[in-house]
Amino acid sequence: MERFLESPIKELIDRFPALGTVLEDYGIGCVPCSVGTCLLRDIVEIHNLSPGDEEKLMGRIAAVVAPGQSVAIPRSGRDRAAGPRKVSYSPPMKMLVEEHRRILRFVALIPALTAELDVESGEGRGRILDAVDFIRSYADRFHHAKEEDLLFACFDEGLEILKAMHEDHRRGRACVQGVLDALGRRNAGEVSRNLAEYGEILTEHIRKEDEILYPWMDRNLTTRQVGELYARFREVDEGFLEAGERYEAFIAGLEGQYLDAKVEVVR
Amino acid sequence: MSEFCGCPGSRMLEFQQEDTLEEGAEVRIASQLRQWPIQLHLVSPEAPYFQGADVLLAADCAAFAMGNFHNEHLKGKGLAIACPKLDGGQETYVAKIKALFEKARINTLTVLIMQVPCCHGLVALANEALRGSSRKVPVRCVVASLKGEVLQEDWL
Repeated sequence: MERFLESPIKELIDRFPALGTVLEDYGIGCVPCSVGTCLLRDIVEIHNLSPGDEEKLMGRIAAVVAPGQSVAIPRSGRDRAAGPRKVSYSPPMKMLVEEHRRILRFVALIPALTAELDVESGEGRGRILDAVDFIRSYADRFHHAKEEDLLFACFDEGLEILKAMHEDHRRGRACVQGVLDALGRRNAGEVSRNLAEYGEILTEHIRKEDEILYPWMDRNLTTRQVGELYARFREVDEGFLEAGERYEAFIAGLEGQYLDAKVEVVR
Repeated sequence: MSEFCGCPGSRMLEFQQEDTLEEGAEVRIASQLRQWPIQLHLVSPEAPYFQGADVLLAADCAAFAMGNFHNEHLKGKGLAIACPKLDGGQETYVAKIKALFEKARINTLTVLIMQVPCCHGLVALANEALRGSSRKVPVRCVVASLKGEVLQEDWL
């Protein structure tokens, strides 16, 4: 069905003439059109049918193009809940949001990491140092530096919302320092507490950025600034390419170790 | 059932407009166009005004539908116009947009289209060029209603 939605309407009507009649029943007069390059999905979407009518139309289209088959009835793709002039994340914001996803994957592993905390053996301490390396290199030097040096620089640094973000970054860094200090003292409880606090700070911080800060920034950045930020972010990414792959492997390795084990226990 | 009957791209409609200007009032809006030519077949990606620029790729009808086209959409941008429904040689369009990405190294591309379904073909051309380009550039799609209001803005 999805394949048909992405097909030019004339091609479809030539192949399935009954489709023209179905469309006409809903006031969609594509049959006489001599061009017919519009995609079926765009046509359904632009006609602004009620959700009920659209569902019925999709059902009838499915019955024509895939008779006798059980197919999922897709929506045209329009977000009816969205008001006019809704703006999606710009490409540089999308890059930051994707980085958030990776950081949150790490944060989700903190409870499992701290449940098996070993501050005595070299291997156990090495595992904590690897986690600290991810936080400092990926989350902080790579991701937060992009924000602080490039993105936030597009705005008045005196804005309260930016001060709050800087403060979150500072608190996160303090927690990491707390992990290292506690590790030096072989204090498992303090390591665990600092990691958990880091996870809480970052979870809330990322929610604020994804839901409030980035959409607000997108509304206020000029098109020129969006293009320039994107180019600068890509330069940073290119310099971090190898490390990025290494940290992805690190997270995937932890997920394999802890999440798969959890699934095993549940079974 | 629907605002449209028949192909929305060619269906006849007449808009009733209230005259918002006082009689005798004269408003001069300066053109924001800073180049010639503008038709996509005629423009050259090597032109100096495209180098590193923010570029507007507008459907032919958009400038006529949108009262403030020059100030709100064209200002500060290089321009190319095209009609995805009626223009021939659209493979040349894809190659030209790709050259804007790769050779002119444009900063952003804004594709301004009308709400009629056929106009989405212009976004498809830009997308195809972007997919084939070795250099990625932010592409924004602005959809205008038949009466010239912005219905939707999305970064692709």
